Parts: sequence; structure tokens; C-alpha cells
Amino acid sequence: MIKLESVTKVYKGEVLALRDASCDIQKGEFVFLVGQSGSGKSTFLRLLNKEEEPDTGKIYVAGKEIGSLSRWRVPRMRRQIGSIFQDFKLLPNKTVSQNVAFALEVIGRPKYVIADQVPAILELVGLQQKTNRFPHELSGGEQQRVSIARAFVNRPLILLADEPTGNLDPQTSVEIMRLLERINETGTTVVMATHDRGIVDTMRRRVIELNSGEIVRDQARGVYE
Amino acid sequence: MNLDYLLKETARNVRRNLTLTLASVLTVAVSLSLLGVALLLQKGVSNATDRWEDGVEFIIWIQPEISEDQKGLIETDLQNSSGIESYRYVSQEEALREFNEDFFPENPEITQLVTVDVIPSSYRVIPAQLNAEAIEIIASSFESKPGVRKVVRATDEISKIETATDVIRWVVLGAGIILLATGLLLILNTIRMAMFARRREIEVMKLVGATNWFILIPFMLEGTFQGIVGASLGTASVYGANRAFEEWLSSDSVLNILQSFAVTGSDVWEIGFLLLGIGALVGSLGSAIAAYRFLDV
Repeated sequence: MIKLESVTKVYKGEVLALRDASCDIQKGEFVFLVGQSGSGKSTFLRLLNKEEEPDTGKIYVAGKEIGSLSRWRVPRMRRQIGSIFQDFKLLPNKTVSQNVAFALEVIGRPKYVIADQVPAILELVGLQQKTNRFPHELSGGEQQRVSIARAFVNRPLILLADEPTGNLDPQTSVEIMRLLERINETGTTVVMATHDRGIVDTMRRRVIELNSGEIVRDQARGVYE
Repeated sequence: MNLDYLLKETARNVRRNLTLTLASVLTVAVSLSLLGVALLLQKGVSNATDRWEDGVEFIIWIQPEISEDQKGLIETDLQNSSGIESYRYVSQEEALREFNEDFFPENPEITQLVTVDVIPSSYRVIPAQLNAEAIEIIASSFESKPGVRKVVRATDEISKIETATDVIRWVVLGAGIILLATGLLLILNTIRMAMFARRREIEVMKLVGATNWFILIPFMLEGTFQGIVGASLGTASVYGANRAFEEWLSSDSVLNILQSFAVTGSDVWEIGFLLLGIGALVGSLGSAIAAYRFLDV
């Protein structure tokens, strides 16, 4: 599903973000990316989304080498990838259901599909009572649920999560992880960058550790350290 | 992509940026009206010269104290020259009558000031070939003849008017183009502001895989809309100016000769459509540049 072949990425000619990184992630896997700040976790995720281009090496997503993908094909590729973030990136002037609907509107889904899928996904993430609230009226955990709903409403093959629990308390984090597990169980490949030792150690999934841009550990059913 | 979404987005952007939008629209309007006036002027002059060139002739003004012998010599030359189709002698009395009738039919007090001895007699010559160079050769051959005061060619007068209007036209055209460039920059900036105001939405759109066109089109439409509204205002003012000019031409106080400057309705429409086209082009170009520079799609 995701494959990196000797990928190197250097920012502005000096900051080494990723060095000769290779790995292979199968469909339906749940992978934690761990490592200190600046170790290259975010770059790893941004490369998969083609928000960044590697300097050398090849990246395959869903069987396609994305380096040779022309610019106008990138949007279609991104529809197969959902993304969630530490800061949620919700639109403050839209309600919960409008935020989720927006993701479908802008990829040209017809109205009846939107009317059908938005309530369903909000029920899945447990927000059916709050569809008409605005993001600032919700707790951090609820906002992250909205962002997960938005990322998953289009049923992507891959979900990229960049420290999704970074702003949440431990109890809420656990709830968010349960949600991500359920999404993973539907066959969606999840790659999650995290600092949360507790979560990694409890869930015992594959762990890829980065240190100064190098993959120093790739362990099935691994722990944080 | 549905029309509903597009119209909603465009309308919202315009509302949000009302003052800047107004500035862009007005600049485009003023610049395109200047451009339109320059084009009208060009049409008017070319209409007028077309009409005058039909009756190209030259006039040999003769000295009042010319002798009959000298007159006879000139007439012989006029008759023998193969380049001349016909000529007519206009006596002082006839010239005066023509002058009064043509220019001041209702102002006898001016007529009284002009007496027979002020206006010299002349020969009006119609050349066989209506070709400026041939006329010039024949006309100049009479210039040095004894008793001839001056040879006046119609082409001289036309070219004087053409030079004068050319200068005006270039000044107006230049001002119009500079303002149009200002309009383009203003539209570019308005669109940039609109994009900045919506940067979060654009980020999310890119993230979930909206196509570049989908992100761009509302902004392009907004720019094009500004250009077209500006052009419509400009076209309306050009049309109004032309109407006012026509009315002035048909009023009594205007010399007959200026009537030929009138620009017909179809020419005005042509200019109007051209202005609308330019407006739309400037608007979409401005937003396209903004998109290219600031959207990074």
C-alpha cells in the first residue's frame, strides 16, 4: 500500500529531514511513527501526501509511484488519503456537518450523496447530537472526531495522522485511538506519527522509529522505546 | 462542480472585499472609457477623411492684381494638362456668396464685415487621378506661375486634422493603457486578498483532493466579473459620450464640415464589444496571475 525506496529529503539544502529511508507498509496495517521532534515524522507523512517532493528515492502509494505523477493528477491521489492533525484544521465558520460536507462538496460529490453520507459518518464518530454546533463550541476530543469524520467520509484507503492526540488529555486520547482502530478494522491503512508513549505501548502495533531522519527501528508489535 | 456553489462563492467574495472590488471596477471603467474615446476618435477621423477624399481637389488662389495675360496663361495650362479632369473659375463675387451661404447663413452681421476685395478669386481644380502623389505633382507645377498666390490642396488640410487628432488619440490611448495596467494590478491584489481571507478553506480543499480548477474557478470568476462590470460601465460612458457628441453635431451652431466626424451606431457597438472583451480578459488575467503567484496549486 505504501512503499519508500531510499528516500532522502533535505530542506533548503542543509536541514536533513529524511535520509535513505526505506520501508513497506501493507494494506490494512496500523503503523506508529515515533521519534523526537525534528526526527522526520511529519516529513514522512507530507511526502506520502505529495505535499513535499523527495530529493532522491521513490515513493509508492496504492501501487503507484507518485514522484512521476503530474500535478493535475495529485488531487485524485489525495482523495485516497485522509489526513488528520494535531490542530484539527476545521473551518471555524462552518458547523460540524458543514465541515464534513465541505470535503465532499469540493470533490464534486452530488448533493444526495452528501445528504446521505454526512449523517452516517457523524454517527460513526459519535457526534450525531452535535451536527449543528460550531467547532469553538466543542471540546478538543469532539473537534478531532469531526476532523476524523471529514478525513474518513470519502472512505480513503489510507489515513495519515500527525500527532492526533497531541492536544488531548489521556482519557480523550484513548477514545480517539479506539475510533482510529475501528477505522483501521474496515481495512484502511493507518500511519500515525506520535509522541504518546502510553498509546504506543498499550496498542502494540508496528513501530517505525526515526532518528535524525534515519529509520533506526522497524518493529512489529513494537513499543515506544 | 455545480453552478449554485460557484455563484454563492463568487458573490460571497465580492461582498467580503467590497471596497477593493469597487476600486478595481472603477479603474477598469475609467481606463476602458478612455480607450473607447480613443477608438471613437480614430473612427471619426477616418470617416471624415474618407468623405473628404471623395472630392479631392486643389484650389489655385490668384493675386488680386493679376493681369488678363497671366490669367490666360494659367487657363491654357489647366486646359492642356492631361492630369486635370476639369476646373472652374470662381470669381470674387461668387466666392463671397458661397462663403456667406456656407458658413454664416444666419449671421448677416458677420457677412457685412467680409467684402469682395477680402476674398481673392480662384480656380478649383479636379484632378483626373485621385492619387495624392499625382495631385502633388500637378498642384506644385502651378505654385510658381506668375499671378498665383497660393495653391491649397485638400490633402494638406486632411493631414493637418489627422496630425492633431493623432496626438490627442495617442495621449488618450496612453492614459487608458496605464490605467488599464493599474486596473489589472488592483484586480490581482483584490484576488490575492480574497485568497488570503480563505487560506484555511483552500488548505482543506487541497488536503481532501479538490482539483486545482475547482479551487481556482471562483477566484477567476470574481476577477472576470470585476473586469466585465468595469467594462460595462466604460462602454456605457463611451456610448453616452458619443450620443452627446452626435447631439452637439446636429445642433445649429456646428459647422457642416464636422458632421462627417459622426460615428455610426454599428461602429459604437463594435467598440463596446471590444471593450467588454478587454475587460473580461484583464479580469481573468489578473486573477490567473494572482492564482499562479499565491495559490501554489
